[in-house]
Amino acid sequence: MKKANWLKVLGMGSLVTVAGVLTACGDGGNDAGGDGEEEVTIRLTGWQSSPTEQRYFEETIAAFEDEYPHINVQVDTIADQYMDVLRTRLIGGEAADVFFLDAFEAPGLIQSGVLEPLDDYITDEFDIEDFQEPLIDAFRRDDQLWGLPKDTSTLALFYNEDHLEEAGYDGPPETWEELEEMAETLTEGNRYGFGVVTDLARLKFIAESGGGQIVEDNRASFSDPSVLEALQPIVDMRNEKEIAASPADVGAEWGGDMFGTERASMIIEGNWMLEFMEDTFPDVNYGVAEIPTINGEQGSMAYTVSYSMNSASEHKDEAWQLIEFLTGKEGMEIWTSSGLALPSRESVAEELDYVDDELYAPFIEAASYATVWADDTNLPIINSNFENQFSSAFLGNRSLQEALEEAERVANNEIQD
Amino acid sequence: MAKRKYTKSQLREAGQGYVFLSPTILTLLVFLIGPIIFALFLAFTRVQLLGDTSFTFVGFDNFTRMVDDTRALIALRNTAFYVVVVVPVQTILALVLAATLNAGLKGEKFFRIIYFLPTLTSSAVLVMIFMWMYRPDGFINSILGGVGLPTYNWINDPNIALISIMIMNIWATAPFFMVIYLAALQDIPDSLYEAADLDGANAVQKFWHVTVPLLRPVTGFAVIMGIIGTFQLFDQSYMFSGGSGGPDNSTLTVVLLIYQYAFAAYDQMGYAASLAVALAIVILAATLIQRKLQKDEEVY
Amino acid sequence: MKSQMNIAKLLLYAILTSYAIVTLIPFIWALSASFKPLNEILAGGLNFIPQEFTFNNYITIFTEQALFPRWLFNSVFVAVIGTALNLVFNSMAGYALARLTFPGKKTLFITILAVLMIPAQVTMIPNFLILKELGWLNSYQGLIIPGMVNATFIFMMRQFFVNFPREVEEAAAIDGLGRFGTFFRIVMPMAKPALAAQAIFVFMSFWNNFMAPLIIMTDASMYTLPVGLNAFQSDYATYWNYIMAASMVFTLPVLVIYIFFNRFFLRGLSFRGDK
Repeated sequence: MKKANWLKVLGMGSLVTVAGVLTACGDGGNDAGGDGEEEVTIRLTGWQSSPTEQRYFEETIAAFEDEYPHINVQVDTIADQYMDVLRTRLIGGEAADVFFLDAFEAPGLIQSGVLEPLDDYITDEFDIEDFQEPLIDAFRRDDQLWGLPKDTSTLALFYNEDHLEEAGYDGPPETWEELEEMAETLTEGNRYGFGVVTDLARLKFIAESGGGQIVEDNRASFSDPSVLEALQPIVDMRNEKEIAASPADVGAEWGGDMFGTERASMIIEGNWMLEFMEDTFPDVNYGVAEIPTINGEQGSMAYTVSYSMNSASEHKDEAWQLIEFLTGKEGMEIWTSSGLALPSRESVAEELDYVDDELYAPFIEAASYATVWADDTNLPIINSNFENQFSSAFLGNRSLQEALEEAERVANNEIQD
Repeated sequence: MAKRKYTKSQLREAGQGYVFLSPTILTLLVFLIGPIIFALFLAFTRVQLLGDTSFTFVGFDNFTRMVDDTRALIALRNTAFYVVVVVPVQTILALVLAATLNAGLKGEKFFRIIYFLPTLTSSAVLVMIFMWMYRPDGFINSILGGVGLPTYNWINDPNIALISIMIMNIWATAPFFMVIYLAALQDIPDSLYEAADLDGANAVQKFWHVTVPLLRPVTGFAVIMGIIGTFQLFDQSYMFSGGSGGPDNSTLTVVLLIYQYAFAAYDQMGYAASLAVALAIVILAATLIQRKLQKDEEVY
Repeated sequence: MKSQMNIAKLLLYAILTSYAIVTLIPFIWALSASFKPLNEILAGGLNFIPQEFTFNNYITIFTEQALFPRWLFNSVFVAVIGTALNLVFNSMAGYALARLTFPGKKTLFITILAVLMIPAQVTMIPNFLILKELGWLNSYQGLIIPGMVNATFIFMMRQFFVNFPREVEEAAAIDGLGRFGTFFRIVMPMAKPALAAQAIFVFMSFWNNFMAPLIIMTDASMYTLPVGLNAFQSDYATYWNYIMAASMVFTLPVLVIYIFFNRFFLRGLSFRGDK
């Protein structure tokens, strides 16, 4: 997932400042001695996507510091190329005690042995069964648990209500065939009926809808005929029918930009779009629906990020207390009440009242059938090769089969056994 | 071989020499010569840094791997194409601009200040400005479309993206070489031009028969500097493609590939080091060929 | 004859002016965008004068980006210290190579020339590992120390000192100044133009360096301007108004320095000392 596309409107600095203020506030309680424990500072590294997200995040951290007065949390954010920076910090021995880890990148880090296994810390009270199975499984390896999912995001279909109304439709498409038909009607001038984001992170569920697998045994297998067959319609929508385009085609930075400036009538995007649309394009009338079915099957992608612990941390017990709080029922409820991300715990999802919100409902529904964006250690390599080559097929420079065979060959060549 | 006896003053001078050079020697040893030897060692190993650091000797595996590494070949092709286009264009442009500026017109200083702006500006800033002007609905396409020329998808079309970077870099680096040419031009004695005047040469002939031959050493210097610089293209490719070298590997350069293998997702520093050694050999070969062609020893 | 001269002049002016426009337009276009609200930029008009002139972009990046001044400071700090060290050490090395005789001089000189030919990428990876061992990742010294001498300028300073009048030094020796006194009190001040040119180029190479800080700086608060700006761009992907404002803020200091020191550029590049 390119974090760059998540529109992180954030002053990293202000977060550091706030962390400082928070630590200062935290200090206040310490003279009283809390429970007489020694004062500890825990470093937490992550990323933030918006000022709102930052506010809720700070609120959650503040709640934790109230509960554990002897622990100060020092938050810092990595703005760009999160994994490269995190890796460099781990190599240099200066990574934080606790950090965000995308499920997509988790296997590689787990394998290198820099994470602390969490099984021994977990108590019955923590209620590990409460987590949605596919999400927590993304952080399991070798029968150990290496991180706890802090939340999840899923994909749904955004549609421009005004465009649909003009074209005489009374609702969003329900099947992929309908979507193609509608996109054809909706395309006019420099406005496309459908916006396509060409990342594997978005397309994996479509690619595998015919029963094929993108990754088999930790190696790329794009050239599987059923994968090609499933992806061909996407390419054809752009090149044969000319009813779809990618954000880059119209000079937009990402899907939100394309949809917000009304250069796409429909687009598949994640729940992070809701806040973006409200902030940046409040005048656009849009609706959200579940992604149209492919061959009668529902599908979507789910993304999840864990809190994981650095195995080199010097304060493992306190680091665990932080993870336990943030992924526990109370912490998760504070955090996900923002509506920016969906809870990864069943019980919290039931508690929150936005479940009935018609903009949110499709995302929550999707969580039950979505494909989790995670696989094994080589997914990052496979992903970047897919992206590089698929785009050339998407732009019509070569056939999809040629492109994906090349991508598979190059990816598997780069993978060192 | 008789043992040389040093006089006291010779010894003192030698001591002073080493004192004067000590910071240089130290830095060269720790951060240049040591690392070069270290890099040669790394090129024959497989390195894992994350978790438990390990160096495994793998012989020539890294080098045989390059031959099958499609992306390495693409990176080399892109980089070579970039060098072959950018070096001549920027050198010629620099020479023409310098000669024009040196014609003794008024306002020479003013133009010189303006021309030098891109050289001064941080590559990051230039990339930001150009990426924005290159947008499909951006400034450049609006101008091109306005005068009825074809418009391009400058950043996201694999056939164009590298050319977009070339245009930007020629625009940014030509003035630097222009300044070097200017300095040399002002050293050319006027008497030579006066002699050419007596022979009835016009401005173009004077440029071609007096200026260009006299500037040959400078041209040699500019071309070698250009070759070394262009082979190391990284910043612009990295920023244009967000570190990926896309779309479709079209902006992937050798240095960006080295960066990816060493510091990004791959954690394959040994292979990256072997690619770096290979790049050094290519650059060395290119400059030697250039020197052979020029046969100009005055530059160094 | 006269009219021919005039036509030629006009032609030259046409060439100069059109290239000046080509050079300036991107800057002016970016400057104008930095005063436009986002919706005006996205509307894609070609107006250089903002319809809705605003300072908000600048205010926003300074108020919501607390790290902005910090990046500026980091860049200035690294470039200033790095340049100062380079001036002293490169000149000392160049002087020794030009003036003093000592065993191993030739070897050293050839080594320095050879180093000029080695691309930075070869040493980049081992340097990272060395800095890691020294514990200098994510630190100022990790950026400054490896670059505190520069083979190119050692070579150039040597050329300068080879042509330096010996009489001056002999006079200083008669006055009883030692080697070091002579160098720092007499020789260095006379090398001002060469030093100024060197200073500008070294300063710019630190100022514009993107790769080294990208590799070794892991805290956003330690970024220098190019890396910060790149991170900023991926953060504010669609907010070209902020990105352009940020770019302008970062370009201005250099412009001021340049206009100030402009006269040294050309003079320094010819490396002939004080005439």
